[in-house]
Amino acid sequence: MSKKILMSTAAAAVLFLTASCATAPANPSEFDQYDRFETFNRAVFKFNYEVDKYVIKPVTRGYRAITTPFVRERVNNALANLLEPMSSINQVLQGEFKQSAVSLGRFAVNSTLGLAGTFDVAGAWGWKKEVSGFDSTLAKWCVPDGPYLVLPLLGPSTPRSAASLIVDAYTEPVYWAAQNDANYKDKIMWGSAAVVYIAVREKTLDLMEDLERNSVDYYATMRTAYLQNRAKKNVCINSDAQDVNYDFDFGIEDEDEVFDAEETAAPVLPQHKQSDIMIDKAEIK
Amino acid sequence: MKKNLFWSFLAVVLLGIGTARADVDGAKAEAFVKKVTTEGIEEIINANVSQQVKDQRFAKLFNEALDLDFIGQFVLGRNWRTSTPEQRSAFIKVYRELNVKTWSQRFDEFKGKNFIFSGTTPSNSKNQIFVNSSVPMEQGEPAKVVWRVKQSGNNYKIVDIIIENVSLAITARNEYSSFIKNNPGGVDALIKDLQKKVNQPVVKK
Repeated sequence: MSKKILMSTAAAAVLFLTASCATAPANPSEFDQYDRFETFNRAVFKFNYEVDKYVIKPVTRGYRAITTPFVRERVNNALANLLEPMSSINQVLQGEFKQSAVSLGRFAVNSTLGLAGTFDVAGAWGWKKEVSGFDSTLAKWCVPDGPYLVLPLLGPSTPRSAASLIVDAYTEPVYWAAQNDANYKDKIMWGSAAVVYIAVREKTLDLMEDLERNSVDYYATMRTAYLQNRAKKNVCINSDAQDVNYDFDFGIEDEDEVFDAEETAAPVLPQHKQSDIMIDKAEIK
Repeated sequence: MKKNLFWSFLAVVLLGIGTARADVDGAKAEAFVKKVTTEGIEEIINANVSQQVKDQRFAKLFNEALDLDFIGQFVLGRNWRTSTPEQRSAFIKVYRELNVKTWSQRFDEFKGKNFIFSGTTPSNSKNQIFVNSSVPMEQGEPAKVVWRVKQSGNNYKIVDIIIENVSLAITARNEYSSFIKNNPGGVDALIKDLQKKVNQPVVKK
């Protein structure tokens, strides 16, 4: 029951947050304009940073100290294997039927021959892994992403990706398995979440330290890195911009145009242009 | 006869399209990036010389291969226009130093690895092209590395490095514009902070 409430609250929140929002920016060098909750986000970011510093990072370092790269690869493989059903379902929703069958096949082969997913046997056969969550499905369906949002403990996000996380949890085999055990249901769920969290953190440990060391504004660096990656990965099916391709000319008029638009605080450049065209047409009529 | 005319007309049209779109020589751009990465791996990372020599070689290669004046100007964004000539040159200088330092450390990660090139993608910007490559990693998927190359005459320069969809230039541009927006010291404060980053000791792993 409580989960149902959580779901509908999340759905309502997404609708509320995305209703008035623009889609992903067309020019990725203007990402900072999509952070309308910057003050709130910075506060959560700071909280996450402190938790990471005093709790998560030491635990992650401990995990790294007691495991070898070989063991960690087995763990990462096993965790990735548990995402295959999710990918398979979402690939159907995206019309990627062939890849959906591959994902399902990978799950079947790797769960058995691959010893509970610790070895990627199917991958060696050429069955390529492609992870796809509900967020990718919504992206393909052209559901707007909404503004940038930093979530407590989970970090960089958007309303769409946050809501998708909840949906994705339902497609995990761990969730199905836990349903059979009423007594340990919650413990299994929290335990598995903790393992995933630390394993994921371990993978990004060096990269994030590098970024932090070389940033004068770590928050802005994380924000832009997250949004750039997202803009490239999540392409709407109706979008003609298959490739994010930013302008990189200076001293030439179009770069100046970008600057001028920035100064007049136009929120979304292409939309701005489009509305101009529409006005022109209306005037002709 | 008519058929021949048609085909020659088609050939001319196609040739016209071909030359109009072939803004940048993709093969040459790719060869240029290949040369830079090979030199970096063979003569720096894998070379049996002292760290000091490695650092010197890297700085030379990095400064020659990348157009840091160009990148620096893009990175400062609209603040470039409002900066004084002194601020501009101070910024470019410190930005150059910081990049040489951070990338020489990052480049070390490619020890024992190599780049696999997979052709080019056209760019919206004039005289520019993307050179696609990937680096097989010990664990998981290969890392995707895309090089943005600018051509002027017969001269090629790297103007951006995009690792796993994240661009060096756009990241810095966003980071610095955010810093300047939130700092009363503006560009001068940015230059000062970047200098601090340059001066901080190198972290040994």
